[in-house]
Amino acid sequence: MLLPLLLRPPLCLPQASVVLTRCIRTLRCGAPRGLRSQAKDFLWRWRPQRLHSRGRSRKTQSQEEEWRNRNKTALTYIAAAGVGMIGLAYAAVPLYRLYCQATGLGGTAVAGHDMEQVATMTPVKERVIKVTFNADTHASMQWNFRPQQTEIFVVPGETALAFYRAKNPTDKPIIGISTYNVVPFDAGQYFNKIQCFCFEEQRLNPHEEVDMPVFFYIDPEFDNDPRMARVDTITLSYTFFEAKEGQMLPLPGYSYS
Amino acid sequence: MSTAMNFGSKTFKPRPPDKGSFPLDHFGECKAFKEKFMKCLRENNYDNSMCRLQSKDYLECRMDHQLMTKEPLEKLGFKDLMDPPPSQPLTQLQQ
Repeated sequence: MLLPLLLRPPLCLPQASVVLTRCIRTLRCGAPRGLRSQAKDFLWRWRPQRLHSRGRSRKTQSQEEEWRNRNKTALTYIAAAGVGMIGLAYAAVPLYRLYCQATGLGGTAVAGHDMEQVATMTPVKERVIKVTFNADTHASMQWNFRPQQTEIFVVPGETALAFYRAKNPTDKPIIGISTYNVVPFDAGQYFNKIQCFCFEEQRLNPHEEVDMPVFFYIDPEFDNDPRMARVDTITLSYTFFEAKEGQMLPLPGYSYS
Repeated sequence: MSTAMNFGSKTFKPRPPDKGSFPLDHFGECKAFKEKFMKCLRENNYDNSMCRLQSKDYLECRMDHQLMTKEPLEKLGFKDLMDPPPSQPLTQLQQ
């Protein structure tokens, strides 16, 4: 009868032995108490023990919980840092572009280069710049390509027109495509072409001669840039290549934005 | 100029023109205006500021013959050469 009570808590064996001896003592003493009272007595003996055991496991449990909580918060922080790094890697591309525009590194276009500027800009009459023109053709290109004026004097903020002439002296139509170059490089970011004849295929029939205009302006900010203080001459150079059907021209050293 | 061996230093990045490419004037429709402009340039020692009227005329000719998309002339920077609207007072013009 008392056996199951004794067998139940395996942790509390030392206490169980004390209870057992007590029980035997009461039996030997021959003062048989009621079974109920004995059972109550035992339960009383077990209860504080049980509470004590629960208390101890609760303490370890809370400690475990605390560790678990700490681990969880640490893991959350680490995960957040990881996600933050990935987000920063994605955000770096437009941020770097903005930085380049703000500082003008790498010759990227200065911010504010748009068509509305042409309508509202005022010419800086004090600063006269000489723009010289140069024309080249690729070795295998048979056009005669040359500028119609060697130089022109412009001021920043004023739109200007210049002409090139191209002639096809052969008996077959030739398609040409051109690119341009501005020297000095730093001035190239202020040299804005409104319309020209570059980057698109131009077809000349046999023995045909055409005038090719270039409509451009120099940004008025040119006058405010300290690096351009000594620049008085800008050279615009066009180069024509022959375009074959369906062929993409690899132009080495140029990168198109 | 800009060869392929310029590692580390700045390279020139050609930019496409704002309004694209001029169609070729195969029939020479605006050749007369161009000749006037070139003559003006030669007479004025190749000073662009003196020949803006002729360049405006040339661009207008191109627009009339569908060799250029029609644009209001202010957008092409010819605000100072245009006829003022009658509502504007003269003092503003003289500035």
